[in-house]
Amino acid sequence: MLLLDIKNLTIELSTANGLIRAVDRVNLSLREGETRGLVGESGSGKSLIAKAIVGVLNKRWRVTADRFNWAGKDILNLPYEQQRKIIGRDIAMIYQEPSRSLDPTAVILEQLEEAIPAHVLDGPWWKRSYLRRHKAIALLHKVGIRDHQSVLQSYPYQLSEGICQKIMIAMAVAKSPKLLIADEPTTALESTTQAQLFRLLSSINQLKGTSVLLISHELESIARYTQTLSVLYCGQLVEAGETAAILKQPFHPYTNALIKSVPEFQPDLVPKTPLYALPGSIPVLQHLPIGCRLGPRCPNARKECVKTPAIERLQNHYFSCHFPLTGKTV
Amino acid sequence: MTALLDVQQLSKSYRKQTGLFRYRTVQALHDISFTLQSGKTLAIVGETGSGKSTLARLLVGIEKPDAGDILLAGNTVTTSHYRQYNHTIRFIFQDAAKSLNPNQKIGQMLDDVLRLNTVFDATQRAQKVRLTLKQLGLLNEHIDYYPHMFSGGQLQRVALARALILDPKLLILDEALTALDPSLRAQIVNLLLELQQQSGLAYLLISNHLRLVRHIADDVLVLYQGKMLDYAPASEVFSNPQHDYTRKLINSSQA
Repeated sequence: MLLLDIKNLTIELSTANGLIRAVDRVNLSLREGETRGLVGESGSGKSLIAKAIVGVLNKRWRVTADRFNWAGKDILNLPYEQQRKIIGRDIAMIYQEPSRSLDPTAVILEQLEEAIPAHVLDGPWWKRSYLRRHKAIALLHKVGIRDHQSVLQSYPYQLSEGICQKIMIAMAVAKSPKLLIADEPTTALESTTQAQLFRLLSSINQLKGTSVLLISHELESIARYTQTLSVLYCGQLVEAGETAAILKQPFHPYTNALIKSVPEFQPDLVPKTPLYALPGSIPVLQHLPIGCRLGPRCPNARKECVKTPAIERLQNHYFSCHFPLTGKTV
Repeated sequence: MTALLDVQQLSKSYRKQTGLFRYRTVQALHDISFTLQSGKTLAIVGETGSGKSTLARLLVGIEKPDAGDILLAGNTVTTSHYRQYNHTIRFIFQDAAKSLNPNQKIGQMLDDVLRLNTVFDATQRAQKVRLTLKQLGLLNEHIDYYPHMFSGGQLQRVALARALILDPKLLILDEALTALDPSLRAQIVNLLLELQQQSGLAYLLISNHLRLVRHIADDVLVLYQGKMLDYAPASEVFSNPQHDYTRKLINSSQA
């Protein structure tokens, strides 16, 4: 069954100069136990989508969707209290800079204990604090921190960024969520720690069947750990499907450019030769092109591209382009 | 032929106060030697705290080394010569948006660089500014722009323009490519490679991004806790790493 099923999610911001559509009719679905990657450059609205799922966007943003189902239930139109209850129980999120999202004035033990909900502790009330502490230590062990004694007594500034991120993950899995959203979890980390964290996330996914939505702007780092992939450009979904299929044969020129701009995916590229790059830069939100937003930068744009292309489907591979790249790409 | 940059047994340590009278010395760099020819790229790889940024600071003369020499085209460099050799070595910071003055127009900023460092008169300076902007694919109108009016990729170009306007021989890129989006990064990488081919610029690339290092670097130097581990041509380091730490680093970016 589909755990998360979003159709035509639109996120708008009303400004003095009219409505800005930051996310334009994006579809996103997640099965139970699936790891999906969400890739897009800065300003593509990937963090907005994550925040819309968790329901923490502030009131200036208008979120609309044709369908916004969580485990078969439309949560967008539920009363606020019920919505919070469902999201608070089932969805957890970890953020980009762990040392900034942790409370600098409290030791890790306090923060971790606070994140453990009461219903996961079974025991009489007088044993609660003991159980809670026990659970906190168990959580740390689960995310691969062995030296729990000194970590629990430390303040966030005393710990490295990698350990902080592991603590964030420990807090997120404390309530055994059904979905874990990781919003650029590794940008602040070293490459060796990055690999560790991705392994940790995929082990949580495999052992507990938690679905993971992995958000990143680096295609190469998340391609390895995800089964399915959605590629965003400027708030439009350009391509979605199985990761391996997309990497093998991208249909959208933007995905193609993303893949080709990474030396790693080009094993026979001679060092020091120019990389494939699209001309121009990402448009700002105030001046979005009409139609396909890649239009001005696209190498095969034609007259038809001023109309937004509909999403087409080829088996399990979705793409939205009037002129998809077919056959062997040049 | 003398190398453009020749660093010999460079060491640097910091004193850290631990008690009222007690100090602890932290060895930031220990016995670093390398050479860099013009038109080549040297990548310095290592984790945080490995001394990468200290090395960069020593090279541009922000700090003085404890021991060892930095030879620039055969001449020893000391901090008092800063004026002379800041024409040859230029530095680009990690975040272009943060390293530019938001109150200053781009043209003014580039003009200042020339006014303080060259003997050009006003018309020569204006011409040089236009030429540099053109070289980096920016327009003449950009002279009147403020930094916030540029997008991320353009800002990085502006930062490059500020570095290149004095026609340096060596450019130090301190994680300058890491924060960029992939498609912009490819653009900037292409620009850097093109500049290198045209004018024989040498780059000292400080980066964590091994995939990129592999593509653009000629030589790689691996730093670990202030010590040099591997120092060899890039292809050799990646195919046949000598130290365990290097192996770990390479595996983490591939496996």
